[in-house]
Amino acid sequence: MKNHFRLFRYFAYSLEILVLFLLQQTPNLIPSLWGIKPTLLIPVALSIALFEKEVAAMGFGVACGLLIDFGRGDVIGFHAILLAICCYTISALVTNLFKTNLLTAVLMGLASIVLIFFFQWIFFYVFPNYGQAGYALVRHYLPRMAYTAVILPITYYFNRAFAIFLRER
Amino acid sequence: MKEYFQKKSFKILCIVVGILFLISLFTLFTGGFVFPNLLGAISTPMQKVSTMVANNAQATATNLTRSYEDLLAENQALKEEINSLNSQLVDYYQMKQENEQLRNFLELKSENKDYQLVAGSVVGRDPNDVFYSFRVDQGSLAGVSVNDPVITEAGLVGWVSSVSSMYCNVTTILSADTNISAVDKASRDSGIVTSDLKLADQGLIRLGLLEADNQVKAGDIIVTSGIGGIFPKNLPIGKAVEVKNNTTDVSLYATIEPFVNVKTVKDVLIITDFEGQGEALSTVINSSSSTSSSSPSSAASSSSSSSSAASSGSSAASSAASGGTE
Repeated sequence: MKNHFRLFRYFAYSLEILVLFLLQQTPNLIPSLWGIKPTLLIPVALSIALFEKEVAAMGFGVACGLLIDFGRGDVIGFHAILLAICCYTISALVTNLFKTNLLTAVLMGLASIVLIFFFQWIFFYVFPNYGQAGYALVRHYLPRMAYTAVILPITYYFNRAFAIFLRER
Repeated sequence: MKEYFQKKSFKILCIVVGILFLISLFTLFTGGFVFPNLLGAISTPMQKVSTMVANNAQATATNLTRSYEDLLAENQALKEEINSLNSQLVDYYQMKQENEQLRNFLELKSENKDYQLVAGSVVGRDPNDVFYSFRVDQGSLAGVSVNDPVITEAGLVGWVSSVSSMYCNVTTILSADTNISAVDKASRDSGIVTSDLKLADQGLIRLGLLEADNQVKAGDIIVTSGIGGIFPKNLPIGKAVEVKNNTTDVSLYATIEPFVNVKTVKDVLIITDFEGQGEALSTVINSSSSTSSSSPSSAASSSSSSSSAASSGSSAASSAASGGTE
């Protein structure tokens, strides 16, 4: 019976990930602020990690990361690695050290988002030597970090609902 | 703490990260992996549907928010415009007919009979890309291949940077990865069309490496030169806005306003074949390998160069310095 609830939760997470991937990639759907759009899959993966064990959290992080890489259309595995590590770490921290609440979710999520976009900036903008790296960071990457972080509380409460209602009593 | 690193879950993490790292290296150096093809076959139809729904919703919302007075005024203006159009010469109807045919994406061949065209729709735009690249719902099954030019009836949009069986990714002319040999139709000055992030944000591109005595002026039409065999000759790119001095060297460049609004384009054509495709490149390679080089004159590279190792996935057409004697 415990497994059934877990399967239901994983199925719900998978549907959520797929829908948000489509929303993220569809043009003219998510409102853009000064040309910036959020990466919806990152807060989804991080908030799932808050409510699942380490391996499951890592698995969903890998799935979200692979979808982000697929959407980008180039190197497969970059975001998968980053999200695998971040989700595993977050899950381990909330299992062993921290309480799961909105504050810890926002703090840990924010740290992860900053890390991921910082590496994105380094590997996909600075290393190819496109120039105007500072402008790119200030005008594109930092606003995208902020816009993505704003989505985090929404996905936190959404996945918290899954975790509470789709769990063995 | 030490015991934590010996836990089974931590070992699983290390194994998974190692596998993903190997996959990343594989896709970085080979550009191919079965996963995107599989996922593309599943996600591309869904993206088409969601894009169609979003576009229809946007069009409906735009109409609903307009006031009655606006609609009346527009109706009156349209009636006046129809009357004006009806009084045009016979040539107008012939041109209108040709224009409508072009809009149906079949009549580009009346001017370019050698073009093999595939019509596609924009089904995805990655929020993480800063150069406004997008995904089109046509892939290798439709005959699309890497470096194929992507156009609309108005002009050049970009080039295919990576292709899968069901979709392809298009790098736009706003990208810093794009380098297109171009020429000013009026003054015949040639240069290289590329962009940078600041210009891309304004929707502009630049025609660089202009000579000091160039005659480029505002309003001039910039088209592809066809050198290199990647882009056909005389594809409209944009019109010149102004000529400036380069900040990093002594050359001049012109800012160009593209004819196509790359950030909002919805339907495109992909040129899968045209007369002379790849010929200039092979001609250059053959001539340089068979004879000793004796051509110091102008090099106009027209192929689109790939970005560096961090963002591969698209096979790169190596930029060729075409040294032709003039």
